[in-house]
Amino acid sequence: MDPTFRPAVVIDNGTGYTKMGFAGNVEPCFIQPTVVAVNESFLNQSRTSSKSNWSAQYSAGVMADLDFFSGDEALTKSRSSNAYNLTYPIRNGQVYNWDAMERYWQQCIFNYLRCDPEDHYFLLTESPLTAPENREYTGEIMFETFNVPGLYIAVNSVLALAAGYTTSKCEMTGVVVDVGDGATHIVPVADGYVIGSSIKSIPIAGKDVTLFIQQLMRERGEKIPPEDSFEAARKVKEMYCYTCSDVVKEFNKHDKEPGKYIKHWRGIRPKTGAPYSCDIGYERFLGPEVFFSPEIYSSDFTTPLPVVIDKCIQSAPIDTRRALYKNIVLSGGSTMFKDFHRRLQRDLKKIVDARVLASDTRLGGEVKAHPVEVNVVSHPIQRFAVWFGGSVLASTPEFFAACHTKAEYEEYGASICRTNPVFKGMY
Amino acid sequence: MILLQSHSRFLLQTLLNRIQNLEKCIELDHHWVEFDDVRYHVQVSMKNPHILLLSLSLPTPPLETVFVGGLPFGAIEAIKAAYGVIVQILDPPRDGFNLTLKLNLSKLPQDEDQRHTLLVKIASVREVVLGAPLRVILKHLASRTVAPDIDQFVALVHRPNESFFLVPQAEKVTVVFPMRFKDSIDTVLATSFLQEFMESRRTAGLSNAPPCLWSKTPPLELKGVTDDELSANAGFVTFVILPRHVEGRKLDRTVWNLSTFHAYVNYHVKCSEGFMHSRMRRRVESLIQALNCAKPDQEKTKKTPQTRSFKRLKQGFLRAGNRMLE
Repeated sequence: MDPTFRPAVVIDNGTGYTKMGFAGNVEPCFIQPTVVAVNESFLNQSRTSSKSNWSAQYSAGVMADLDFFSGDEALTKSRSSNAYNLTYPIRNGQVYNWDAMERYWQQCIFNYLRCDPEDHYFLLTESPLTAPENREYTGEIMFETFNVPGLYIAVNSVLALAAGYTTSKCEMTGVVVDVGDGATHIVPVADGYVIGSSIKSIPIAGKDVTLFIQQLMRERGEKIPPEDSFEAARKVKEMYCYTCSDVVKEFNKHDKEPGKYIKHWRGIRPKTGAPYSCDIGYERFLGPEVFFSPEIYSSDFTTPLPVVIDKCIQSAPIDTRRALYKNIVLSGGSTMFKDFHRRLQRDLKKIVDARVLASDTRLGGEVKAHPVEVNVVSHPIQRFAVWFGGSVLASTPEFFAACHTKAEYEEYGASICRTNPVFKGMY
Repeated sequence: MILLQSHSRFLLQTLLNRIQNLEKCIELDHHWVEFDDVRYHVQVSMKNPHILLLSLSLPTPPLETVFVGGLPFGAIEAIKAAYGVIVQILDPPRDGFNLTLKLNLSKLPQDEDQRHTLLVKIASVREVVLGAPLRVILKHLASRTVAPDIDQFVALVHRPNESFFLVPQAEKVTVVFPMRFKDSIDTVLATSFLQEFMESRRTAGLSNAPPCLWSKTPPLELKGVTDDELSANAGFVTFVILPRHVEGRKLDRTVWNLSTFHAYVNYHVKCSEGFMHSRMRRRVESLIQALNCAKPDQEKTKKTPQTRSFKRLKQGFLRAGNRMLE
């Protein structure tokens, strides 16, 4: 049977979590951390030992390529045994370790989704700043190792926009603010084409929020075991953090009614299994605040997120700007903080209004500018918006025509994956 | 992971999720496909949150296999025996599927362990349905009899339009898999993999494993099967299953491993391709390293000052400039 009759496999590999499933569904089948635990003891052994125990080396070598775990299993395995080392194949939105990535994909396909890769078309995602070589490499692995019949590598911000497309209105123009675990990109898209020259990225992402919370808690002297402190900070971030409208007011609120705002965190020491607990105070709102006043976290980068978004739109072609302000779409796990979109909309509106007012006074009231509509769109599936967009895209009949096929790959080689059509717009 | 698990991971996850919040009314409608073209569909409606409809579609059977009402023979009995009261078979099944089961989640046993075992069993519905005929034959082997009204050999579907063959006898059952692969590289790898399989059977530790044989040409047991069904580009694998391999609890494992043998080989072929790639990558890296070492002007590049960021550098310059102005 032709693979086009089966649903395509959609895998969105993020720095923190990988979302995988089949096209046509509303939710991914699995959301797993992108991590591989490899048993490296075999590798080191084979280097040092002599030739005498050849058969032991041989069988060790045979087993080594299968002795690894991925996702949640990897995390539990590395905690319980010292033989396994954790490897994060993706860093800051870019594939960093191809060996680990290939193994991770292998586990996604055979262990989690349990499908035959020869039976399905595949949709993978990439960040808008991926190098063409990386795209070729992805194509090579997919066609050579897994023999996929067809492959489409989509830009994740376009997919995030496509996710909003079905829930609200038919709009393929907008700015995607994609705040993941390892990378933050602000990508303007006009009619489905990425405006490549205006993409902005900032060095603050979900992981930095976690690190900041970890730092705050450590400085306050909470008794958290050091080996668990990063994981605990991540859980605190995911469960208790929210965005406030004004930091000073929020501090006052916390000081007046500590009982209402201070939460407790209970954890278990990974080594001994003994329970511990600690308080969570200001970090609840200070964590997400690093996006709006980055100076509290780092001295290298001090431009707030709303200003960067404004700069990004201002650098886009002038005829698209109003449409871009009108549709600012959030995606990625780190935009899930409560009221994140309200704060972003308010701050951005302030910047835009100030500029409109300035130009009005400069013109002396002769010409009045139309007010600029600023709209930050948030939807409930933000966490896997990119995956959902991919699922929608891959269930259309046009998808199969847009894919690179195995026959094309065999004819022309990996260079067919080099360029992505969404960058070939008029801009 | 060396062997494929018999339960569908996603189905088990969905079931466990449903059990945990049974009171919450969630609309659920999910479909997915597993290897060998087995399709699943799960549906829960808002009205009856404790009823779960599970539909299953099987690979298209080739002509030589026996299918009764869209299911392999013995499947209905196997389902009834495995699940009992909590499952009801709907007739006719959902459009486009071979089987629809209506699960009543409120009838699950209260005991935690029992419930989990049953849920895992439901998640391995594929093993129960597709492995049913194989199980019937192997059960007869365990009691050293031959099932009545059975031909000299039996064909069982395991992939779309492909089947494997059983030759049941009182003392042994011979299982023959024609191995077919689409890609030429896969064919070569699979062939050497299967030869290695046969070799390693001879080592001392595996003397109790079923005897295994690989040959380029169809084995003699399959005389009388048409040539069409016997065209295999990666040869034929023969296992001889003896009564000791199907005793008691071993039966389930044997049924699963035999009915997914092709998927197992395919998985390992892909794994070894991945392994080869990583070795090739390591080799390229070491060669690049050797090239880098040979560069003559390496000394110079090392001496460049390392500043943390351009901005710091700039601030330093500005500060120096201000001081000069003062």
